[in-house]
Amino acid sequence: MITIENLEKSFQFGSGEDKVLDQVNLSLNSGEITALNGVSGSGKSTLLTIIAGLQNATNGKIVVDGVELTNLKESELRQRRASQFGFIFQQSHLIPFLSVKDQLAFMIETAGRKWSRKEREEKIDAMLEAVDMMKHKDSNPNNLSGGEKQRVAIARALIHEPEVLFADEVTASLDSKRSTQVMEIIRNIAQTRKITVLMVTHDEDMLQYADRVVTMKDRKIIDA
Amino acid sequence: MKIAIQEILKNKLRYSILGIIILLIAFLTLAISGLARGLSYDNASLILDMPEGTFYMEEAAEDKHNFSAISDVQINNLNDAHDNMTLMSIQMGEVEDSSGQAHSLVFVTSEGHEIFPKAAQNELLLDGSLQDEGIQSGEEVSTRLISDNLTVSGFTEQQTYSHSPAAFIHPNDFSELVQSDASQIVFVEDEAAAIDGLTAYSNDEFLNTLPSFSSEQMSLNMITYFLYAISGLLFAIFFYMINVQKLTTFGILKAVGVKTITLFKMMWTQMILITIIALGIAVGISQLLVMVMPDAIPFQLTWEVTLFTSAVFMIIGFIGATLSGIQISKVEPMYAINQGGA
Ligand SMILES: Nc1ncnc2c1ncn2[C@@H]1O[C@H](COP(=O)(O)OP(=O)(O)OP(=O)(O)O)[C@@H](O)[C@H]1O
Ligand SMILES: [Mg+2]
Repeated sequence: MITIENLEKSFQFGSGEDKVLDQVNLSLNSGEITALNGVSGSGKSTLLTIIAGLQNATNGKIVVDGVELTNLKESELRQRRASQFGFIFQQSHLIPFLSVKDQLAFMIETAGRKWSRKEREEKIDAMLEAVDMMKHKDSNPNNLSGGEKQRVAIARALIHEPEVLFADEVTASLDSKRSTQVMEIIRNIAQTRKITVLMVTHDEDMLQYADRVVTMKDRKIIDA
Repeated sequence: MKIAIQEILKNKLRYSILGIIILLIAFLTLAISGLARGLSYDNASLILDMPEGTFYMEEAAEDKHNFSAISDVQINNLNDAHDNMTLMSIQMGEVEDSSGQAHSLVFVTSEGHEIFPKAAQNELLLDGSLQDEGIQSGEEVSTRLISDNLTVSGFTEQQTYSHSPAAFIHPNDFSELVQSDASQIVFVEDEAAAIDGLTAYSNDEFLNTLPSFSSEQMSLNMITYFLYAISGLLFAIFFYMINVQKLTTFGILKAVGVKTITLFKMMWTQMILITIIALGIAVGISQLLVMVMPDAIPFQLTWEVTLFTSAVFMIIGFIGATLSGIQISKVEPMYAINQGGA
């Protein structure tokens, strides 16, 4: 369970200040897929990255399973991102010099999972099966198509079995067929593993994969 | 650090080029160090082969041993301060062999604690290079300031001073040569003591009183320092460029929770790996050079110098890479997320 209370975020520019989020209140229920939509520039990505501990809020409180994120040190936030969170971005942002399976292995190591070698290999294989990338196990990311890269990114975001998945416009660079495929994979894995998902999208077609849809408007969340 | 090696394997060309440049610079550094050492040995092996200790010369001589004359009082004072003193004197000179040919050399005599080979009266013990010039054992040679002829009793290996071969001579003959009974230098295998009217020198300080020695060494050492600096800069620039290209990747890695120190360790692993391989090959080639170098070229590469050079390269590479790695610690995850790319 993640609760966001009275969250505010302002950006400084020159002598002025631009308030992007104002008194945002939201709670994400465990095991539920929440879609966050709204027009471009409404602050969706800003909200997602603040909840994920990637940037600081100006004001307000974020509580993840009883722990207030705003009180944590940078190293504790990092630790939490590594072990409890998974990330998928608009660009796949794969590590260019690691093969598909090594991307996943590296994430397992980063999350500090103490799995045996056998366990690790089984989990990597199962995950690559789930995203239908088994045949590209040893491929180099540069040789993959956009949709394939994004499926590897999903696998990387979930391989360490995080509790929360943050997904920002993950289908924006894919055609509708690929987008559907990617969203179905995310939903299937999230549901079987009871992962809390916050997905940002401004594609109406993607909203059907969410358990709940909230909208950003005028710096606030409506219909939360 | 599997990931560091995986990256090198993925970008073989890039890292090979760095490795080859480091190899060439390291080799050049070793070659010049070998030359510096060889030249210094050619210059003053007599002093270089002595154990670490203290040299005393008369203060009034102002670093010039041939102006130094240590008095009996001072010898007594030195005797109180130290055990096992070696009294020595050095004088440039010339001998004429039986065929009338002149050979320039340096007369060396010593008394007391034995460090140098000693010659009997009316005999000379010569550096081996004079044998190559045609002087034979048992041959009688003459020198202007000594009335009697001197008999060559044997040869020593590599004993030079001021680029001249040494001729070990009996103290009495030496006194006749320089018209003085006083010793110029006292050497002890001990720490310096304060003695009235005497200046104390460490081995290095004493070597630097030889005019040619310090100037030769200085120019070669300068080159070596420059090569060190170049290799450091090279590491810094190389990793700077590689890191700039990887900033987005570093940011993403930070976003997913990779520690900054892990990213540094990755870079250090790469730096150490490349340096070890490059140094290994450079050391191999330089040792080969030691074997094939003709005797005429003074070249001496000891393992101490090789290890020292390798250590300096490691440290400088580390500093260079780390300085350029400051960008790694600065990059923010948000910068990377907002960036395009793979
Ligand atoms: N680092 C920043 N500095 C200054 N302004 C920023 C910064 N990040 C975001 N903004 C501003 O905050 C506002 C919200 O940006 P955000 O990226 O959250 O919007 P979004 O809803 O994700 O839009 P899109 O759908 O186009 O991705 C925008 O006006 C943007 O210009
Ligand atoms: Mg956005």
